[in-house]
Amino acid sequence: MKIKGFLKDVTGASRVTKARLEAFAAGSAKPETVDPIAEVVKEWHPKKFDVVVTEIRDASPTAKTVRFKRADGQKLPYFYAGQFIVLDFKIGESIISRPYSISSAPYQARQEDSFAEITVRRSKGDGFIADYINDSVKVGDKFQAMMGCGQFYWEPLRDAKHVVALAGGVGITPFASMAKEIANGTLDFDLTILYGSVSADDIIMKDELDALKSDKVHVVHVLSGDDPDWKGEKGFLTADLIKKYSAPDTTYFICGPQVMYTFLREELKKLDAPQRRIRFEVFGQAKDITTFAGYPQELKDKTFRLTVRRGIHEDVIPAKATESLVVALERAGIRIETACRSGECGFCRTKVLSGSVYVCPENDGRRAADKDFGYVHACAAYPTSDITIKIPIE
Amino acid sequence: MKFYKDHYDVIVIGGALAGLSSALMLAEKGKNVLVLERHNLPGGIASSFVRGGIEIEAALHEMMSIGDKNNRLKVGKFFDDMGVDIEWLKVPEAYHASLPGLEVTLHPGLETFAKEVDAVVPGTYQKVLDLLNLCNTVFDSVNELSIHPMSKAKMLIKHEAFVKTAGYTTKEVIDSFDLPKKAQDLLAPYWIYVGSGFSDLPFTIYSVLMADYVGYGSYIPRKFSHEMSLKMAERAEAMGVQIEYRQHVEKILVKNGQAYGVRTARGDEIFADYVISSSYPNKVYTSMIEPASAVPEKAIKMVNGRRLSLTAFSVIMILDDTAENLGIKDYSVFRGDTMDTDALYKDLAGLGPYRYLTCICHNLGNDTATPPGTCSYSITTLPRVNGWKTVKAADYDKIKHQVAKQMIDDMSAYLGVNLLDHILEIVIETPMTVNRYTNAWNGCIYGYAHTMEDHIIARLQTAEEESFIKHLEFSGAHAISGDGMGPAVTNGRKAAKNVLDTMAAEEASK
Repeated sequence: MKIKGFLKDVTGASRVTKARLEAFAAGSAKPETVDPIAEVVKEWHPKKFDVVVTEIRDASPTAKTVRFKRADGQKLPYFYAGQFIVLDFKIGESIISRPYSISSAPYQARQEDSFAEITVRRSKGDGFIADYINDSVKVGDKFQAMMGCGQFYWEPLRDAKHVVALAGGVGITPFASMAKEIANGTLDFDLTILYGSVSADDIIMKDELDALKSDKVHVVHVLSGDDPDWKGEKGFLTADLIKKYSAPDTTYFICGPQVMYTFLREELKKLDAPQRRIRFEVFGQAKDITTFAGYPQELKDKTFRLTVRRGIHEDVIPAKATESLVVALERAGIRIETACRSGECGFCRTKVLSGSVYVCPENDGRRAADKDFGYVHACAAYPTSDITIKIPIE
Repeated sequence: MKFYKDHYDVIVIGGALAGLSSALMLAEKGKNVLVLERHNLPGGIASSFVRGGIEIEAALHEMMSIGDKNNRLKVGKFFDDMGVDIEWLKVPEAYHASLPGLEVTLHPGLETFAKEVDAVVPGTYQKVLDLLNLCNTVFDSVNELSIHPMSKAKMLIKHEAFVKTAGYTTKEVIDSFDLPKKAQDLLAPYWIYVGSGFSDLPFTIYSVLMADYVGYGSYIPRKFSHEMSLKMAERAEAMGVQIEYRQHVEKILVKNGQAYGVRTARGDEIFADYVISSSYPNKVYTSMIEPASAVPEKAIKMVNGRRLSLTAFSVIMILDDTAENLGIKDYSVFRGDTMDTDALYKDLAGLGPYRYLTCICHNLGNDTATPPGTCSYSITTLPRVNGWKTVKAADYDKIKHQVAKQMIDDMSAYLGVNLLDHILEIVIETPMTVNRYTNAWNGCIYGYAHTMEDHIIARLQTAEEESFIKHLEFSGAHAISGDGMGPAVTNGRKAAKNVLDTMAAEEASK
């Protein structure tokens, strides 16, 4: 065979080897240590960083807004309005992390006086971190934070220009962020917030929200409690009420308590909205796992032996049948990284080496192959026997 | 608390396909192996994620070198030999080419392919088949020589086609066949999988690409590339490999010119006789070797003298209707407004509009890819890092959306369906996304460009003198075989083989 001529054909390998050596010899001797792509990543998705509390104010009689900045003086990262921050709280020997929707706007994280805020309502007895924030956190306190998490944000290529936000209670926070960003002119869609509260007193960030009203931001308070003085919308966020504020092409964003999700799933079926127009924020950690279908009721009072393998190290800790593996680990002071705590993000992906678990059906965001090999998201998995798991070394 | 053993035979940095292949091969030989992966799951970009309850492939278009169950190619055979049991689905066609004046679906099989080209460009059957057969001959030689090297003289007799085409570009060899332009265009679409324009792409690489994909077809795992990555990891662990996730290796420890361990971001110092790095040489030589003085200037000149290959920009969507209803007919479509690969390559240095797109609909190769009534559709281009290196954080989101919108609009026009009206989920992957999840240098997924100055044959010839730190091997797209998930496995095996060979040689010299 012949391509160009015998001699040229047979000397190809030598030719390319020579070319390679020449190219290397011509290379600069100056090490290039900065990766500009990684630099952008650092501003959008930095590793965990410390934040320090700079201000605490009331957002309602039962809720507080906590403002913080980065402890190292750098600007907080970029994020999308609607996303959450994960804060690590050191309580006793444990580090417990919690996700909170950011109630301030993305532009506020990037301005000269960079800050972010979360707004947290005192719990009715079941959220000890929420109470900790309301009662014990003070200006100057420091936390580790991870920012820019979650999928609950307006995506211009996907979502309608007209948005109806269905908010319940403290679920108003992601919409507060969106409203502020729209008011700043850096986010462009028409937002109508239908905000359900029990009574006028329960409305969180009322003054702040009302101050944001414009031709692009509409806030409609809906009270479910009996208040003869209330002139606005009353009752629940029913299909009829939602229809009243919808445009022909509307994206619905829903964030609120778990009971509201159950209610709204039925109401939203009565609208003609296609599936792609309905977006729920993650469910959150199940309030009471025993109420879910298929939960083995006979085990609910049991405590199991949980063997935790990290590298070649093993610990044995107790794990209640009604608490997720994450909670068992946090109680025992064993660090596990979590973000959404709703089974979605997979940060707490854990291998079950032996034993069995119940996975919350609302929060099963696992990959198919992971299921085949016994992986669980530990925030959504509850022990149903003595078990052994392997988790990353933190 | 003690998380690690006192000593390992080998530490592998990176638990993606290359690193796991190294680990499997070393474990099979009874070696004590630790894999450190910075993410919390294996695979690197050979992965999947779940959005809105739907699992979505992160990167894999199609695997080469798998082959039919009864006629495995090298990667498929390696998985079988290692006991990594993957449910492979054969991709139905080679590709649909959507090029100026051409809308053609071509199928694997050298003769089938040549016939299908002939149907569009009559009278080309024999020449196209001759070219494909030449590719196949070179491919066979590459496979054989990678296992049994031989002298140059002997090579010329036994592997004539391989030797005689080694010094030529793809363009030079294809030109020698004197094919009409349309036929040439139909033979070019896969170029993006090796990422160089034909006037700089070694014909050797083109041969492997065409012989493998066109000759034997391509495959995907039923449960996405995560099935492949996870099964490799699970098998490795079953064979005694210790895999630790969320462990970011910051330093490779070197004494007397020889690697002896690593230090992680957590501060753990872990010791081993050998280190295999999936981290790019650019990163390793400029900031990971400790002490830095152990890095010779030649190593820096080498990484600076090499050209990084492509990164990725992909718009991945779950659509709210079936492929059939949306008029999506092919598993893979390569669409360009020209098939001048040199011109396209030049464009890839910018930030769009990108003129060459690869679209994949997994449902047409995998009936369980998404829930009933939906389908997945991804539109990908593989830019060079040049343009993306100029993007500032403040403009990143805007540029990302602009580029994505252009790609969606382009494919909407092609399909006659506005894809924007059907998006259930959308994820835009960029070079930054790649860097975020894998730490790959410049977000580059393809390692170093296959060029005439960085020819695979030259890489093999000079490999030994480019080993600047003893007992440190490289595996990943940046290693000899270059980019692609199939070659990643080959690269991982090669790194493990180098370690085993050195171990044997040092044992023998004792």
